[in-house]
Amino acid sequence: MQEVSPWILLGMAGIVALALMIFAFAATGRLEKIPTTPLQGFAELVVSSLNNYVVGIVGPDGGKYTPFIGTLFVYILGMNLLGLIPGLHSPTSNLSITASVALVVFVYYNYVSIKVRGAKAWFMHLLGEPLWLCWLMFPIHVIGELARPLSLAIRLYGNIFGEETVMMVLAGMSLVIIPYFIAIPSQLLMMFFGVFTAFVQSLVFISLTAIYLGIGIADHEEH
Amino acid sequence: MGYFIALAIAAGLGLPIAVIGGGLGQGKAAAAALEGIARQPEASGKIQTAMIIALALIESLVIYSLLIFFLLSAKLPATADILKLISK
Repeated sequence: MQEVSPWILLGMAGIVALALMIFAFAATGRLEKIPTTPLQGFAELVVSSLNNYVVGIVGPDGGKYTPFIGTLFVYILGMNLLGLIPGLHSPTSNLSITASVALVVFVYYNYVSIKVRGAKAWFMHLLGEPLWLCWLMFPIHVIGELARPLSLAIRLYGNIFGEETVMMVLAGMSLVIIPYFIAIPSQLLMMFFGVFTAFVQSLVFISLTAIYLGIGIADHEEH
Repeated sequence: MGYFIALAIAAGLGLPIAVIGGGLGQGKAAAAALEGIARQPEASGKIQTAMIIALALIESLVIYSLLIFFLLSAKLPATADILKLISK
């Protein structure tokens, strides 16, 4: 199995980010209350549905976190879909790129938790409920906290890399059955499943991010 | 030689055993979601979203096993080297 250079994948991730920025600037160039240009209408559709989703998970004041989570969704979706274009590879099929995104999410939700509830509340949450058990609960909680970005990174990497490998194997199979000239795109059905997987994996990523954010900023005492 | 036998068996059997548990778990999740939709069709949008997320989370455990399979199968030697080893 040939390995794609991570630097090329990083460049492609940068191209995805650049394309998203160009789309954002083009859609909000001349904002009007009732959208007339189709680009602004499409952008409003995407933003409002993401906003509803995030507010549904995080709570009523979750609107502050929609820009981060929404950008994450569109970015990861773009990177996943890039692999379905013939000749290109998904940047997310490399563990370094998914791990960096998961690391950013980890730092962000801990930062938000400390900013909203204070550093003392964040640390007391790590110590657990009965204080005389804190020597037992602290390592368990720390490992559980560290398992969150690890599982985020490995889940996204495993899904996209496995799906790309299956497509490679399926595409190679058609060359074995009918050699030399005719290459049947026997991975076509897999590509439809690949589009579905791209959507589901980015949805699961941001759902987990929103859930961790919601847990971080939730008030446990007041109602 | 026994090392390669064990490696080949582990690479072959690891993923299917993980799929057993994953399949059972996803079946239970899908069954509960379908029952919820049948009981209250108005909530089918929310139930469907929650079901998809639950299925993806259960599937991620099977994907971890797939990663181990990729790691192990990269360490399996080629057939020519094994034949040389046996014939010695």
